[in-house]
Amino acid sequence: MSSKSNLLSYVYILIGAILVCGYANGLGPAMVSPFGIDKDLADVVIALAVVALGLLFAGLGAELPFVVITGTIGVFVVLTLQQTEIVRYMTLSAVLFCIGMYGMVVSRNAIRVLMSIELMLNAVNINFVAFSRYIDPTLLRGQVFAIFILAVAAAEAAVGLAIVLAIYRNMSTVDMEKFNLLKW
Amino acid sequence: MEVGYFSFLQNWAANNVEAPVFYMLAFLAIPLAYGVLFDPRIIRCGFLLIGVFGTISGIFLLLQAQFLAMAQLMIYAVGITLVVVIALMLTNPRMEQDVNLTVPEQKLPALFAALALFITIYLAIRSELWQVKEATPLPPELNLVAIGTNMLGYYALPFEFASVLLLIALIGAIMLAKTEHLTRSEEWIENDESYSDRKEENVVKV
Repeated sequence: MSSKSNLLSYVYILIGAILVCGYANGLGPAMVSPFGIDKDLADVVIALAVVALGLLFAGLGAELPFVVITGTIGVFVVLTLQQTEIVRYMTLSAVLFCIGMYGMVVSRNAIRVLMSIELMLNAVNINFVAFSRYIDPTLLRGQVFAIFILAVAAAEAAVGLAIVLAIYRNMSTVDMEKFNLLKW
Repeated sequence: MEVGYFSFLQNWAANNVEAPVFYMLAFLAIPLAYGVLFDPRIIRCGFLLIGVFGTISGIFLLLQAQFLAMAQLMIYAVGITLVVVIALMLTNPRMEQDVNLTVPEQKLPALFAALALFITIYLAIRSELWQVKEATPLPPELNLVAIGTNMLGYYALPFEFASVLLLIALIGAIMLAKTEHLTRSEEWIENDESYSDRKEENVVKV
């Protein structure tokens, strides 16, 4: 970790914070109007700008974790700030679901894959509870479904970890790339 | 009108306390979720997972789902994470760091798929047409009454199936994880002469 990459990361965080706070302060239309863009699209354009700046700084050599986390939070705030509450909760759920899906696909450790699946199930739970709060506040059917998902997640965790243990006994590894028993 | 650069924070806090608390929880949840994926020490991932579940429990409290928040803490943050950590200790006894965290050739397709999924979901939910009902949320005791009435009334059958599913999962997990007894019985079958005779008879018949 060199001082140059540290400096680049902090500069990116600063620029992202200025963009997001400016947008939150109601300067979004003023930021995009010089480029001839409709002010209704201000949030999408600023979110894309945050992503593009992140790619630029990552290419210049900034620390990748800083850039990824700052970019995700910046995009999340810009996209949800002017929306209603239910859209905010659902966007957070979508962000967590996509993080979980990415981790499920790329992880090599089988237990990390199971953790990613737990993340995805939790994201779905947020969606259900948000629906039960805003769409169906008297019967609370969303919360009942969230409880069913809790039960399914417990079953999934127990069986999944038992499978991982059984495979570890046979192959002495939990690396997903080496599980090729079913390949032909 | 003279406004400061951070006056939006004051506006929020004056109008409702929900939005600032929600963003604080979201700022906690997103980096913790990334930590679960990319921390090289996998035991630390287990503890970061507790953090994610805790923040999601806070979000449930914000959404007036008190019973679910506590159930989330008990089942996810304690129960499931404990099972995951025990499995970690059994599969990685020396707690080594993962050298290769990710599969390099799957990174780009996975990133593309995750981004495309997020854009699709966001464009689908970004709408003014949600029919939000402006009813005041139920107080906690009536909340629990409503959940109980649903579970033993309209959703009684799925509730029973959930309990059967949990029982099956429990038995299946024991069967999968417990191998010593099975191998001993296989040896017994191989040493049993009558069984091998029967097997030969079958072969002759076929």
